[in-house]
Amino acid sequence: MKKEQAAPVPFQGFGRPGVGTDPTSAGAKRQLVDRIVGKLLFFVALFAIVTVFFIIVFLIRDGYQIVLETGLWNFLAGQDWNPAGQNPAYGVLPLIVGTILVTALAMAIAIPLSIGSAVFIAEIAAARTKAAIKPAIELLAGIPSVVYGFFGLILLTDWIRIAFDQPSGSSWLAGSILLAVMAIPTITSVAEDAISSVPREFREGSLALGATRWQTVRNVVVPGALPGISAAIILGMGRAIGETMAVLMVTGNAAVIPDPITDVFSPVRTLTGTLGIEMGEVAFGSTHYHALFGVAVVLLFITLAINSASRIVISRIQGPQGTARPTAHRALVAAASRIAHAVSAPFGGVVSPRTSQRCAFFLISLSVVIVLAALGMILFGIVVNGAGAISWEFLTGSPRDLGRAGGIFPAIVGTFYLVGGGLAIALPLGIATAIYLIEYTAETPLTRSIRAAVDLLNGTPSIVFGLFGFAFLVIFLNFGISLIAGQITLGLMILPTIIRTTEESLRSIPGSLREGSYALGATKWQTISRVVLPPALPGILTGAILSIGRAAGETAPIMFTAAIFSSRYLPSSLSEPVMALPYHLFVLTTSVPGASVQSYGTALVLLLLVLVIYLAAILIRRRYNRAKVM
Amino acid sequence: MTGKSLSGTTAVAVAGILVAFLMAAGCLGGQSSDTPGSQQITVTGSTTVLPIAEKAREAFEESHASTGIMVSGGGSSVGVKAAGEGTADIGTSSRDLKPEETAGYPDLVKHHIADDAILLIVNPGNAVDRLALDEVRGIYNGTYTNWNQVGGPDAQIVVVGRDSASGTREFFSEYVLKNEDFVKTQEEFNSNGGIQQKISQTPGAIGYVGLGYTEGVKALALDVNGTAVEPTLEKITSKQYPISRPLFMLTNGEPDGLARQYLDFVMSGEGQQIVASLDYIPVQG
Repeated sequence: MKKEQAAPVPFQGFGRPGVGTDPTSAGAKRQLVDRIVGKLLFFVALFAIVTVFFIIVFLIRDGYQIVLETGLWNFLAGQDWNPAGQNPAYGVLPLIVGTILVTALAMAIAIPLSIGSAVFIAEIAAARTKAAIKPAIELLAGIPSVVYGFFGLILLTDWIRIAFDQPSGSSWLAGSILLAVMAIPTITSVAEDAISSVPREFREGSLALGATRWQTVRNVVVPGALPGISAAIILGMGRAIGETMAVLMVTGNAAVIPDPITDVFSPVRTLTGTLGIEMGEVAFGSTHYHALFGVAVVLLFITLAINSASRIVISRIQGPQGTARPTAHRALVAAASRIAHAVSAPFGGVVSPRTSQRCAFFLISLSVVIVLAALGMILFGIVVNGAGAISWEFLTGSPRDLGRAGGIFPAIVGTFYLVGGGLAIALPLGIATAIYLIEYTAETPLTRSIRAAVDLLNGTPSIVFGLFGFAFLVIFLNFGISLIAGQITLGLMILPTIIRTTEESLRSIPGSLREGSYALGATKWQTISRVVLPPALPGILTGAILSIGRAAGETAPIMFTAAIFSSRYLPSSLSEPVMALPYHLFVLTTSVPGASVQSYGTALVLLLLVLVIYLAAILIRRRYNRAKVM
Repeated sequence: MTGKSLSGTTAVAVAGILVAFLMAAGCLGGQSSDTPGSQQITVTGSTTVLPIAEKAREAFEESHASTGIMVSGGGSSVGVKAAGEGTADIGTSSRDLKPEETAGYPDLVKHHIADDAILLIVNPGNAVDRLALDEVRGIYNGTYTNWNQVGGPDAQIVVVGRDSASGTREFFSEYVLKNEDFVKTQEEFNSNGGIQQKISQTPGAIGYVGLGYTEGVKALALDVNGTAVEPTLEKITSKQYPISRPLFMLTNGEPDGLARQYLDFVMSGEGQQIVASLDYIPVQG
């Protein structure tokens, strides 16, 4: 008996070394550590702002020339984008309209499907189904955009052309469908985390009051998760607006405003698409070059506008939580319920809660089926067409005959280097920034500007990072086309995703846990490192997983900074360029005729690589979640 | 306490994964140390010239075992810039230098390594198989919008072209379009492969590509003074087929060392055979 009691006592002391017992030297040391960590985190958080300013300064430095040459109004409101004409015209209005139209329709498709899927995974699915579906949907995020583009070009545009009897399938609609498919995994995954982190007591309370599960979901869970869902939508929208490679392959890229404006079969051209197809061959320092940087600046401002609008919406939702809802929201809910009543009237008065639950759950399940069908179709295509290319030589050899023969070993290793380096840069910075923002600050103008900077950075299209990496790292710092330039560019690109998701998961930790820890005499840093961070880890891991998927598949940020088409050798230092799978795939699909087997093979290898990384991270998360329940 | 031990497990697992990840990268990287030779050059630029540079590299390295040549794309302007700034030893370009480029990099030396023909391609199902240059111009400037205006079936013409920064488009614009504006509804792609793909699956489409991109599409003959000239290698080499343009490799000053050897190889009989095998037009022999 005595022995049994003795054992845990020293262990407890080990677990919380001297908390509240010796307030002298050890206490002072802890205070010092606490202060140093706080300062450190502050400087790291500041880095996000500095980065954004750097990016903006470099883009504007090259972009403002076009305003000097054509005038602001002619640039922004000009109807013609014709840089190569006899009388060059640099009007970006058709590009702005194209970007807005494609993104808006894509979000109209993606938001219902993803929120439906998120609700299904978090609230309806059995544990085993959930464990299978969530990783499957996250895997969608790992499919490189150039693969989507390849699919869109071959299948989607052709289907649209035949199904709707159009002369050409390259259209606004094709771009929107593709972007929706690409945004869904991001939105679903982050929204599901937000829904899952709504405290269980809320659900139990609602159910105990006699509400149906659907009523609980609609009136308690989803409203409670609204800030997280909004963040998910912003993340998804950021991905959609910034997508370059897939969009430029399916929208036709004609710089026209659809006539009439609702003609979804009209070809359109987006801002990113313009950068993607024209940046590579434009003459440096020419008017056209400046115009493209002008386009990048416009893109940045559109991102800024959308982020600001979303922040206002989120703060409106978040502000009065727990107390009265804003009147606009109340009016909306009232209107929605009136509409629901009106619609249900023909079916014999008000639909019973049970029927409405069945209806809603059917729609929600349908959205999951649609999303999974899209995933299945794309995966099936890649596996069936790519399996034939996989051989020992393909995996371990160097490319020959322009990639039509030989292997892709240098590209596999190059991708590892790029993603690993990017992650090594972004993970510590991102987590530190998020901890600073959530744990160390009240809402001040400074934190608001840091958060705004992070959101801006998050919405910044990957191709803009590519331009920045090229202008700043490759040219200004004279790194040349190199591994390090690519790693930094990728690191900057995934940084905001990591900050955002870490913030969300930290925010979902109840304040009472922190208060309990403080009450026991723990310092701030002790509280963070031992009480707050452990339960927040699954959310942080989700952010890291999504980032890896994104970094491994991106073409735009590395094609001007790090990637080369072929090299016999692996890089022996950070200053050498590398091959990378997505860039290899891009060149194979667009510039090498007769290499479709190899491009499917490359896509399959890229997918498998991402899958392995995902699996490792998902296993960790599963393990953790199961342990938490126990 | 449970939370503490769990967080420890998770942290160890995360750290383990990261370490394994980095170690994997490190191990794989270990193999690189045995290879790079004493000499290395980079060749970068035009996607049109990329196949030549790449094939020539393979053949060249077979006879020069200790050398390393790294080839990448990026576009003609990247090639000009890289050669001019010295970030690459050889730049490649599918167009002539622009005035601002000549002014910015006065030391650039042009090496004319090959010619490239531009083919007009349509869907194999299209009944039209020859066009006059005037008709092509009419299609691309928007005068003709239906195939029945140029002797084909009643179907809308889907005009497809390259992006406005492309060297191919620039040449097409000058030579065929006489610098008139392209029709605004022209769909644009940034690669020959993209155009080929589009044309092969769109019955009413027309596009222009380099000589190597004819799989699944039909190349049109051009009417020259009333006779149809097929885009065969022979007719292109003899300049009877009217649309072709020069391809360049650029060096900052006269090349020396490995760059010199590589360029000499490209210009040699063997190098020019590679040029021909890739469906470009040799400049020598």
